[in-house]
Amino acid sequence: MRVINAILTRNLTNFTRDRVRLFFTVFMSVIFLFIFSFVMQSTTVGIANPTNYLISGIIIMTVFQAALNNSMMIIEDISSGFMKEILVAPISRYQISIGQILSATAVAVLQGVIILVLGLFIGLSIDILQFVKMTVIMIVVGITFSSMGLYLAILAKNSTNFQLIISIIAMPLTFLSGAYIPTTILPSFLLPIVYLNPLTYTTSIYRYITLGMEHYSNDMLIKEGVAFDLHGFIITPYLGLMILLIIGIIFFILCVNRFSKADFSEVKVSKDIMF
Amino acid sequence: MNDISFEVAEGTIFAFLGPNGAGKSTTINTLCTILNKTQGILKINGNDVSEQKERVRKDIGIVFQESTLDVRLTVSENLKLHCDFYNVPKAEVKERIDFVLDLVDLGNWRNAVVKSLSGGMKRRVEIARGLVHYPKVLFLDEPTTGLDPQTRANIWNYIHRLQKEKNITIFLTTHYMDEAEISDKVAVMDHGKIVAYDTPDNLKKQYTSSLMKIKVLDPLPVIQYLADKGIQYKMVDDLISIYILELKEIFQITSTFQDEITDFEVTKGTLNDVFLAITGKEIRE
Repeated sequence: MRVINAILTRNLTNFTRDRVRLFFTVFMSVIFLFIFSFVMQSTTVGIANPTNYLISGIIIMTVFQAALNNSMMIIEDISSGFMKEILVAPISRYQISIGQILSATAVAVLQGVIILVLGLFIGLSIDILQFVKMTVIMIVVGITFSSMGLYLAILAKNSTNFQLIISIIAMPLTFLSGAYIPTTILPSFLLPIVYLNPLTYTTSIYRYITLGMEHYSNDMLIKEGVAFDLHGFIITPYLGLMILLIIGIIFFILCVNRFSKADFSEVKVSKDIMF
Repeated sequence: MNDISFEVAEGTIFAFLGPNGAGKSTTINTLCTILNKTQGILKINGNDVSEQKERVRKDIGIVFQESTLDVRLTVSENLKLHCDFYNVPKAEVKERIDFVLDLVDLGNWRNAVVKSLSGGMKRRVEIARGLVHYPKVLFLDEPTTGLDPQTRANIWNYIHRLQKEKNITIFLTTHYMDEAEISDKVAVMDHGKIVAYDTPDNLKKQYTSSLMKIKVLDPLPVIQYLADKGIQYKMVDDLISIYILELKEIFQITSTFQDEITDFEVTKGTLNDVFLAITGKEIRE
C-alpha cells in the first residue's frame, strides 16, 4: 500500500510540476467544452435538455481520452531512465502497475470534474446525487481505460508507436459508442462492435443519469438510445454499467499481468540522456 | 559475457576495469537482478541473485551509468520515494535523508528540483539515494564518467567516507586507471572475460616492470655494466631505458655511475601497462 501510494503521489506531483502540461490539460478541457457546445447545438434539436446532453458526452470523451493518454507517463519513465530505479527496487510489479493505473485515473477524473464544475456555470443542471454518481462512473471509466492504455503502452514501448495505436483504437470506439452518432441509425453489421464497446455503456449510463431518465420505461429508453434490445434481452443502463465494470476488471487484470511479465531489460535507455 | 568467476569480501572495493563494450555493465546489470544469467551461480550476501530477487534488491544500492532520477521532483522527494520503495521505517526517513545528503554535501539543496542541478550534483544525489536504505553492497557503474576532475575527486572522497563509516562493499566499473588503482581488488575485463584478477599491486608486480630512464655523459661503461649484469635495456640517442625488476638495482646503478648521470627518471608500472601486457592493447578513455 505504501508503494502504491508513493507512486501515486509521485505521478501526481510530476503532473502538477509540468506547468505546460497542466495548463494545456485545463485549457483543452475548456476549449473542448465551448467548441463542442457551439458545434453540437444544431444536433440536439428536439432534446429536452441539450446542455446536459452535450456536457455529459464531453465529460465521457475527456475522461476516456485522458485515461488512455496518461499511460504515456510510463513511456516517459522508461526513456528518462527512472523506470530502472523502480525496477531494481524490492517491490512487486503488481504494485507498480496498480500505482500507474491509479495515477492515470486520478488525472483523468480530475479533468472530468473540472468540466463538470465548469458546466455548472453554463447551464448544466444536476443535483448533488447526480454529481456523485457521475464522478463514481468517471472513476470506473478511468480505471478501465487507464488499464487499457497501460497495456498498450507496454506493447508499444515508445511514444510514437503508442500515439499511433491509441488513435487507431480511440477512433472506432468513439464513433461506435453513440456519443456523437446515435446508435439507432448505425447499420446493423456494426452493432456487434457497438455492444462490445465499453464506451457504449459509459455513454448510455451517463445520459441516463444526467438527463434524469429514471422514470422512463424500457421502450422509451431503447428509443432514446440508452438501452439496447439484444433479440429480446434488454440491456438497461445499469446492466450496462455492470458490463462496463466487468470489462474494466478484465482489462485491469490483463494489464497488471502483462506488466509483471514484461521484459523491460530490452528497453534501451538512450545514452543521450546522460549528464 | 562468459566464464567469469570472482569473490568479493565484505567492506572492500572491487573494480571491473576494461574498455567500452568489455562486459562491465552487463556484469553489473546481472548482479543487480536486471538481467537474468543464462548459467552459473551468483550470490550476494548469501542470497541467490535469480532465486531471491527481492532479498537481493533490499541489500544492494545501485548508481547506474545513466541518470535514473526523477528530474521533476526535488532532491528530498527523490530520496523519500526511494525510502518508500525500500520500506525504510517511516520514523527514520527524515533523519536518513539528512544523513546521506550531508555525506555528499547537498544539505542545502534538498528542496531544489533535480532538473536545476548540475551534472556532478545529480551524480551525488544518485549516490546519496543509493545509500539511503543502508545497503550492504553498493554498485557504481562508471560513477564519474563525464565529470570534471575536481568533481571526480570529490565524489571519490564521498565514496571513501561512506565506505569507512558504513563498512559497505563497493562494486565499481570504470575505465579510469586511477580509480581502479585505489580498489582493493581489480578484475580486468576484455571481450566478456576476466583476463586478470588480483590486487592492483600484485597485478603490477606480475605484469609490469618499473622503468628507469637515465642520461649519462658516456654511455659505453653503463651499457657494459648492464650487459654484464644481464639487465634488459634499450638505448635511444643518449637516453638509456632500463627495465628494473628490483628496487636495489636502482641504487646499485645510480651509485656506481653517480658522477656520470645528468638526468634520471623512474616510472612505476601502471594498470594500463597491465592491460597492455595482458591484451596487447591499451584502454582508451
